[in-house]
Parts: sequence; structure tokens; C-alpha cells
Amino acid sequence: MTTPFLEIRGIRKEYGPVVAVHDVNLEVDRGELITFLGPSGSGKSTTLYILAGFEEPTRGDILLDGETLLATPSHRRNIGMVFQRYTLFPHLSVGENIAFPLRVRRWSKADIDARVRRMLELVRLNGYEDRKPAMMSGGQQQRVALARALAYDPPILLMDEPLSALDKKLREEIQHEIRRIHHETEVTILYVTHDQDEALRLSDRIAVFSQGCIDQVGTGPQLYAEPATRFVAEFIGDSDFLSCDLVGSNGTTADIRLGDDLVVSGVPLHGRPGERARGALLLRPERMDLSRQAGPDKTGLPVQISDITFLGSNIHVAAATGWGETVSVRLPFGHQSISGLSRGDTVWLRFDPGAAHVFT
Amino acid sequence: MSSHAVHSITAAKLPRRRKAGGLRGFGGAMPATFLVILFFVVPVLALLLRSVLEPAPGLQNYETLLGSTTYLKVFANTFIVSTLVTICALVIGFPVAWALVIMPSTLTRIVFAILLLSMWTNLLARTYAWMVLLQRTGIINKTLMQLGVIDQPLALVNNLTGVTIGMTYIMLPFVILPLYGVIRTIDRAVLRAAALCGATRWQALTRVLLPLAAPGMAAGGLMVFVMSLGYFVTPALLGGTSNMMLAELIAQLVQSLVDWGLGSAAAFLLLVVTLALYAVQLKIFGTRQMGGR
Amino acid sequence: MLLDFHRLGWWRWVLLAIVIAVSAFLLLPIIFIATLSFGSSQWLIFPPPSWTTRWYGELFADPRWLAAAFNSLKIGLIVTVLSVLIGLAASFSLVRGKFRGRETLKALFLTPMILPVVVLAVALYAFFLRLGINGTVTGFVIAHLLVALPFSILALTNALEGFDKSVEDAAVLCGAHPLEAKLRVTLPAIAPGLFSAAIFSFLTSWDEVVLAIFMASPTLQTLPVRIWSTLRQDLTPVIASASTVLVAVTIILMLLVALVRKGMKS
Repeated sequence: MTTPFLEIRGIRKEYGPVVAVHDVNLEVDRGELITFLGPSGSGKSTTLYILAGFEEPTRGDILLDGETLLATPSHRRNIGMVFQRYTLFPHLSVGENIAFPLRVRRWSKADIDARVRRMLELVRLNGYEDRKPAMMSGGQQQRVALARALAYDPPILLMDEPLSALDKKLREEIQHEIRRIHHETEVTILYVTHDQDEALRLSDRIAVFSQGCIDQVGTGPQLYAEPATRFVAEFIGDSDFLSCDLVGSNGTTADIRLGDDLVVSGVPLHGRPGERARGALLLRPERMDLSRQAGPDKTGLPVQISDITFLGSNIHVAAATGWGETVSVRLPFGHQSISGLSRGDTVWLRFDPGAAHVFT
Repeated sequence: MSSHAVHSITAAKLPRRRKAGGLRGFGGAMPATFLVILFFVVPVLALLLRSVLEPAPGLQNYETLLGSTTYLKVFANTFIVSTLVTICALVIGFPVAWALVIMPSTLTRIVFAILLLSMWTNLLARTYAWMVLLQRTGIINKTLMQLGVIDQPLALVNNLTGVTIGMTYIMLPFVILPLYGVIRTIDRAVLRAAALCGATRWQALTRVLLPLAAPGMAAGGLMVFVMSLGYFVTPALLGGTSNMMLAELIAQLVQSLVDWGLGSAAAFLLLVVTLALYAVQLKIFGTRQMGGR
Repeated sequence: MLLDFHRLGWWRWVLLAIVIAVSAFLLLPIIFIATLSFGSSQWLIFPPPSWTTRWYGELFADPRWLAAAFNSLKIGLIVTVLSVLIGLAASFSLVRGKFRGRETLKALFLTPMILPVVVLAVALYAFFLRLGINGTVTGFVIAHLLVALPFSILALTNALEGFDKSVEDAAVLCGAHPLEAKLRVTLPAIAPGLFSAAIFSFLTSWDEVVLAIFMASPTLQTLPVRIWSTLRQDLTPVIASASTVLVAVTIILMLLVALVRKGMKS
């Protein structure tokens, strides 16, 4: 058995009666970029702050190359971090900011100069050496913060929603930069965000946080195709949920009844089926189809179209089931099944049971 | 093996830290706490004790203070002067604060600079100036006589008139600044609305602007009143010996007459009245401000 | 209407007249003293018949005035250093601490500023007589420190509250010891606050009269005490020159504060 590069082992953080982090376990490989994705208050930032040493866990341990990190104070952990707010030292120039960690490590003047130049090149801010932080844009400041955090070759870089203060266009630009810098430096990055697009765009793997727990860890496609919980399904990608009854199950798949009489078999099941259990059926908008006929096998669910929206390459069709729930179906432009349809028409909704999920 | 050792380290370390949680970060406040308790709380409490223990245990010091006409006259002086100063400061301060809100900003800045300069100019220097200005042969009397307003020089100093003038001068900034803060938050649309409703300027002033500024007037007025009660330097220099105020009485009882019992009792009365008025202020304005913001 | 300057009609000229009158009322005494200090009249005739620097000459030739000024300076500087150091430690604790009752503690620290000084003076006088430190520099420093500390704590808690602790955290993660991070990052960042705290602490001590009257002895007086005791005898123009010196120092320091604040903003 090989030791993982970074291991978060049973970390728990309590503030009085409040449990902020609930026994989190996670293994991170060297050179990985992993995001902690979740809504605010889900424990993702607290976990990051425990890694940085600004918070102490109530219980649990963090191991780097098999050695505990908790006994080391923050300033000796040799970890890099980029914060949510701009944290450049306001009285120092850009160059001096990047040199700061090297000065406290007592590097020689020549080494510091060389390194500062290299870091400025890395974040593409050559020539900004003598600027004061106050004279730079938010995006530039965060790039300098990134250069400062990487200047001393930390094995781990923590990023706590570093782009949340920037506008969307700039955010995407810097996300791209982060990918590039990650490839160039091969540093292990732990990245906290509440933005699923950002997580999908950046990460090798995503850990989805909810109420202090990690619900699921996996690559973006894994989380999307095989969500472990209803929360993950809702958080990653667009989703439609229909309530249903569980009428039979073999433990991994279930037979469900939608409305009064449509029974669908072989839907992957998450959670435990009880007696006459109710469940929620997850359907992805782009994995549904609409047709005008019920079809020979009667696997379609009759729905009434309530709205049709043209969105360029896609068309969104909102439809209501007989019991009043709505689904949103996304069809490619020019799809034959909807030509000539209009509001109020009744159509049959079809989906592949194997690609759907039911949560209890 | 190593991970075992690690666990025992963290396990041993954590509970200790958590215990200290109740006072986490208090250390830095220790020197200041020590200073304030030893040299402020303890001496003030000791003074209270002296007022009921010297020359003999009991409340006779307070009975003397509240029972003798000499001392009652000091209390009356203090109360009258403080009230007059408060009224004068409010009457003069309100239009100034009002003007500061609406005047062109360059003018506002100049007046603010003058206010700050006046506040931070040495109290003795300012009082000295008034002693000279107000004396019988001073510039004010001279000017008035030259203008033919008076035949005889007015007695403007060594009496309560002098004290009131000098203290109004000193207290003005303390009324203007808070009042400015309150008037600035009044929405000018409210007053435009009053005008549209047909109110004359005078009606808008008395029925809208003044009521809206009232909390600021009350807060500033109370503060000036409290400060005036305990003022020492200006009354002592401008009031003369026959028109003593409370702070001067305390100083004299302790320094000249060395009557610690009576002096402590008088100091304590001043302290209690001051704290009570601050409490009133906090109760009326503190909560409203918190609710409002 | 009443809050629109240009729509006030003739009322605005009344308001303007009041403002000018009050400004003159506030400025007059200060200008008056400065003028008198250069006037030749022993009897403080205004306007002065002719100009002289005689009173300044007398002031600077009198060893008692010089000693008083020196004492004021010495006590003020000691108070400044202590007030900033103690205030800084206390402010860190008040802003960053996690203990209960921080608000109450802050209120306790600020109380000496709002209570009648004469009560504090009498209480300290009694206490110092017992300790035997009346009429000593130590006594003066402690008394002035009590009323200077609130200014220091107000300025520094304000500065620290406006400073994002993440910046200090960033320095710590960069490898700086927490103390080094405070010295090299936090303190430079709150420098304007430190400066205000220092200036106001010094001015509080430099201008303080009431405590000083009680703490003073015939051999140890500050400038305000010396003015006070001279003033009770006669109104010699030497006092005008001493007052002018006192006020000049205050104005210079206040201008410095304003300049530093402006420099920080731009």
C-alpha cells in the first residue's frame, strides 16, 4: 500500500454545539487540482483553513507524505495560499510582495531577484515589479498573490474562492491562467469554490461538500453521470426531479411508478427503499425526448407543454405532468419531434431508465 | 508507528487549547486592564470609601453638603451655569450645524478646520484670552463704550456671566459636531415635500426640521450639560472666588482645606450625577441608534 | 427647501452671517493671544501700540518656564510611547480576541475620557499621596496615561478593524512567524492609525491642566501648570507668549496628522 501524498483523515470541527466539518476523509494525489465545491457554510473553507493551520480541528489528522501537518504551525507548513479577498501587502511593491516569503526564508539577494522575475513571467506581469498593489486591478492583484504563493515552491497551494470578487469575463480568463500555471508548475492545488462552472472547468477531481460532509468525490463527468446523492445531482449540471413511488427493487436498481399507471423498471437506485417508499427521479434535460405518440410499449409519460423557448442552438421545452410537476427538456435546434408543436399540446416524454437515477 | 505518536501529540495538545478558549486573546489587554483597574477603579472606589469613613463612619459628609446653604449655592451655581451653557450652545449651534450641512463644501471645510482648531487649542490659552477680552478695561467693554452703548464698563468677568460666555465658547464644537451628524442624515426630499404641502419656511423649520433634529439636539445638549457640571479650569479662572462651581469646590476642599471626607463626598456626588446622566443618554439614544442603523 | 442652500432665499444670508459670526467667535481668542504675545503693552492694550518680542525673550530667559516646558515635553513623550504600546496590545486583544465581555472591557478603558477629570484628579491625588509618588514624573505619567490611553485605543481599534486579517494570515503562510508578520505587515499597514494614536496621546498630555495641577509640586511643573499658577496672580503678556508656544505646537502636530491622512489617501 502506498502512502497518499495528502490525506485528510476524519477531520471534524465543532464550534460549540455547531458541527462545521463532519468527519471529512479525502486523499489527494501529487500534482492534482482538486476543488472543494459546495454552498456557503458547507464546511469547504473551514477544511481549507484547517489545512492552512488557521483553525484547529476538534478531531482527526492531516498527513502530508505520511507525516502529520497539525503539529507544525502555519508559518512552517510551507503551504501557499491565495485568499478570497486581496491580500497583497499594501505598503510593499509587487516585486517586494513576491520577495516577501523569500526574504523571511533568508534567500540571497541574487536568488530572490531571479525568482521574482521568474514568478512575474509565470503570471505574465513582467514589468509590474515596482507598482504598488493599490494601483492594480483586482485580477492583476490576484495574479501577484498567486505568484507570491508559488514563489517558494510549496508542495501544496490552497485557493479560497480567489476569483469571487472578479467579473465573469475576467474570471474565465484567470481560470485559464490557473490551468496553465498548474500544468507548468505541477503543484498540488486545493481550490475552494461555490461555482460549479468554475469547478468543472478547473479540476481534475471535485469534492462536493454539503452540510459539513463530502457527499462525493470524482471527476466532473463522474459526478454528472453518477451522482451519489440528490444534492450532488442538483449541484452539478441542470436537473429535473419528478416524484415517484418505488414499487420494487433489487438493491441497485428500482422499479418506479410515475403518476397513476406508468411503471419504469431498471432505474439505478441511490439510498434504501422502504415500504411503499417515495422517491425522486432525476432526469437530465438533454437526455429526454418528446414525441407525439405514446409509442407501442407505452413507456412515455404524457405531459402538457407550457412554454417553448428558443435559445440559439438549443430549444427549451417546459412541460407539466398530469399531477402538476414541471420538467424542462432541452432539444437541439431543428429536432424533428417538436416541429409544429405549440403551447398546450400534449406530448409523450421518454427517457432511458439506465441513464436516470432515483433517490430516496 | 509515527502516526501513533502523531495522534498522541494532537490529542494532548487540543484539549489544553480549548480550555483557554474562554479568555482567548485576552493577554494583550492585560497591561491596559491592570493600569485602569489599579489607577482608576481602585482610587475612585477608595475615594467613595473615604467619603463615608472620614472623619467618622456614616453619611454626615453628605448631610453637610446637602444641608448647608454655602454648598447648596455651589450646586445651584453649577446647575444654573450648566443649563445656561447648554441652552446657549444649542441655540447658537443649531443654525451653524444646519448651515454646515447645506453650505458649499469649501466653506464647510473651512468651518470644520476652525472647529477642530478651537477644540484642540489649549484650554488654558483660550480661557486666558477670555479673561483678557472680558476684563473691565478689555476690548469688549472698550468697544461698547466707544460705540456709546454703555457708559460704565460691564462686569463681564469674575462672575457667572463670564463663566457662561467662556464655557459656551468651549462647548460649542461639542454641540455642532453631533448635530451636524444628525441633520446630515435628514432626507432633503422630506423638506421639499413640506414646501409642496404649502408649509412656509418658518412652518417647515418648526414643524419638520427641528423635530427631525431633536434627537441630535437632545444628545448634544445632554453631553454638554454633563461636561459642564464637572468643568474646573474655566469656572475657576473666569468665575472668581465668590461664584464657585462644583469642580472647584472639590479641588478646594481637598487641596486647601484638606477636608478629605467632604471633598470625596462632593466628588462622588458629581461622579454619580454624571454616570446617571450618561446612563439616561445611553438608554434613550444608544438603543435608538442601534435600532436605526 | 430648508436643506437646499440655493432655495433658502434671504434666510441663507442669515445662516451665513451666523456661521461667520460663530467662526469669528471661535477664532478670535486664538488670534487675540497670538497678537498680544507680540504686543508691547504691559497692560494688554489692544490693538497693541507697537510690536516686540520682549515677552518671548522673558519667557525663554526664565529657567522656571524652560524647566516647565522641558517637563511637559518629557512627560508627553513618555506618555506617548506607553500609550501607543499599551494601546496597541489592548487593541489587538479587543479586535482579535475571542473572549467574552470585550465590549465591556473597551467601555472600561474609555471611561477615564468621559468622566469629570476633577474626580479622577482627586482620586489619584489621594492614591498617590499614599504611594508617595505625588509630584514625581511617574505620577504625572500614570495620570496622563489614563486619559491618553482612550484616544490611543480608539485610533488603533479603528485602524485594526479596517485592516483585513487575511493579509496578516497571508504573511504567516508565506513563512513569517506570527510576530514577524505583525511587525512587517500589520504595523506598516496601520501606520496612519499608529501615528494618530501617538499624536493624540502626546497632545492629551501636553495640554492637560487639571490632573497636572494636582500632580505638580513646586519643583515639578508642566507648562500648563506654570501658566495656571501665573494666571492666578496676574495677566502678564508672558502668559500670552507661553500660550502661543503651546498652541503653535498643537497646530503643527494637527497639521501633521492632516497631512499624513491626506498622503495615505492619495
